[in-house]
Amino acid sequence: MADILGVVFRRFASGNVTSDVMFPSHVEGNTLLLLGDVNISRSVLFLAAVTAATDLGLKVLFFTQTPFQSLPVSLRASIPGLKLESLKNVKFVYVKSLEDLREDIASLHELASEAASPSSLIIVDSLDHYLHGSRVGPLQDDLSPVAHVAALLHDTAAFLTQILQSRADGQGLCRVMVSFQSEREGSRDSEALAPELLLSVLDRYLQVRCTLEEVKRDGEVGQNEWQVYLSVVCPSQVQQWHMVLQTGGALEFSPVIGGEQQILDQPDESKQENERCGDG
Amino acid sequence: MGSSLLSVAEQLLKDLQRTYSETNQIPDDLLIALRFVFGQCALQALDLVDQRSVTCVSSPSGRKAFQVLGGSGHLYMCFTSCHYCPCPAFSFSVLRRNESLMCKHLLAACLSQAMGLCQQEQVSDQQMTHILSGQTEAST
Repeated sequence: MADILGVVFRRFASGNVTSDVMFPSHVEGNTLLLLGDVNISRSVLFLAAVTAATDLGLKVLFFTQTPFQSLPVSLRASIPGLKLESLKNVKFVYVKSLEDLREDIASLHELASEAASPSSLIIVDSLDHYLHGSRVGPLQDDLSPVAHVAALLHDTAAFLTQILQSRADGQGLCRVMVSFQSEREGSRDSEALAPELLLSVLDRYLQVRCTLEEVKRDGEVGQNEWQVYLSVVCPSQVQQWHMVLQTGGALEFSPVIGGEQQILDQPDESKQENERCGDG
Repeated sequence: MGSSLLSVAEQLLKDLQRTYSETNQIPDDLLIALRFVFGQCALQALDLVDQRSVTCVSSPSGRKAFQVLGGSGHLYMCFTSCHYCPCPAFSFSVLRRNESLMCKHLLAACLSQAMGLCQQEQVSDQQMTHILSGQTEAST
């Protein structure tokens, strides 16, 4: 997934960009958690899907609760000369519930062995909406549902990667990209699971985190600017980009010079960091 | 639960696989190491292995999963590529408290795989979908 984001950043860069998205070799980088406001996350997911389908020729599955009423980014502004037929590689799957989402993902193996080309990118839009809708009964603090769907995505990607590699002389990778809004208005009720706890569970199965942080100027948001932080948990490493939503609706990216950081363990942060370095 | 402990656990399982394939038994030093790394659930997991409670389920598509028959008669599904178990102990001790690397069902699956003691079962692709999505859970 980190490789697709690298293509997105360079493709939609303001100016010439030589920086790339790089992570330590032991980090597979094919599973990514996208954190941020629901609308901008949806736009980034859509851009990733279109980039993967058109630039890389990959087959994409896009799971979402909400059908697209209009293009979330201005594709014509971002990609002049875009041919809509190249979007045929993107399949939108509208599923309403967590149970339906799990069943659809669990069933991907059924056609993979017969399909000419299995999906190389699986996108899940707003996983928090699915989880919020499933919280019923006395076990509302159970972390099992979120772990199940994240682990299922990880395992499905691993299986489809095997299929792709068996057909492409060892090449081929199935990637997963999941968006999640950790803080939702009105969601911090007494029965809600702490966002940090949910994120710690997701970190076990989604190795790379992409955080979209809206830029405030003079304490005000709505500048249509975001800082984009790409990080891995173990070892801690952060890469920083800048994203702007232009007036015409196009998204533009630029690297932040000197934005690569190796976060050294601090005495008071090492326990927290170790807790995040879970299995996956 | 640091990534270093996870690396130790992975190496321990590799050592166990090699030793068991050569000698058909687990030496005391490896047993002690298992107890040290995995805590109380090590012995419970070894009991499950002895009872041949772990089944590797596969379907025509090539997809695989583990099913572990717990002491209570519940059947727990575990993935082959990452650590997950639907049991309450995994949810509490691993996910919430981060006190353990695995529950006994997961560890039993890892041990059974390392020691070549998984039962094998073939199911249809549709049955595999039900298993992976958590719709299939049998009580005996």
